[in-house]
Amino acid sequence: MRRSVSIAGLAAALLLGTLGFGTGQKSYVASAQEKTSTMEVKIDNFSFGPVELTVPVGTTVTWTNRDDIPHTVVSTDKVFKSKVLDTDEKFSYTFSKAATYPYFCSIHPKMTGKVIVQ
Amino acid sequence: MHPFDIKTVVFAKHAQHVVLIHFPIALFIIGVLFDFLAQWKTQRLLAAAAYYNLLVAAIATIPVVLTGILAWQWELEGQKLKGILLMHLVMGCVSSVLIWVVWLIHRRTRRKQEEVLPGYRLPIEAVAVVIVTLTGHLGGFLSGVNGPG
Repeated sequence: MRRSVSIAGLAAALLLGTLGFGTGQKSYVASAQEKTSTMEVKIDNFSFGPVELTVPVGTTVTWTNRDDIPHTVVSTDKVFKSKVLDTDEKFSYTFSKAATYPYFCSIHPKMTGKVIVQ
Repeated sequence: MHPFDIKTVVFAKHAQHVVLIHFPIALFIIGVLFDFLAQWKTQRLLAAAAYYNLLVAAIATIPVVLTGILAWQWELEGQKLKGILLMHLVMGCVSSVLIWVVWLIHRRTRRKQEEVLPGYRLPIEAVAVVIVTLTGHLGGFLSGVNGPG
């Protein structure tokens, strides 16, 4: 009886330990994802900042127009395309494939940027 | 970027609208200036110069409006405009109509072989110059002439 109780206790401890470890792992992954899940690109004074951004796969990049005039964010390879962004409006895109994504503003084609997804 | 693709030729990194727009603006303002001078100096030669400047200005509005609307439809996929872009579109259309109206007033007088142009054209021309200038200012603001590079 005492032996079976101690075996049950050991099993429970192992189970709890495993669960605890699993939870710990999950939260580690989540915090790692949180660190890299969103990146910001600021549009200001007719330029994207940073001009070149390197991010891991799965990252969501958000462009925010801080300029007084409207801009767009258009992928050169037609992967993504925003609507016209007025002041303080945002556009987000999640990069699910590793590649280099050059983009520009279709109203001001001299404005260019690049997202490198690794 | 293909050099013979129509969208590339008209828009990407080679926007024709911002190039062509200078022609009707310059021709119209100079045409109005000649007309005011013709009125003041009572010279036929200045009146003729005004007429032909206004004629070419009116014709030049066609490709400008066309490239502007195509840029809206192709580059911005015809999305509902707001703010400065909408203001620029509306004022651009009003400006074009006013340029044509001014030229038609001149044309009607010439066709009727009347000696004197109607006096009411002068305030219309003055208002048209103001609207054309404001539209050009908005266009310059949008195109980023004040921006870096």
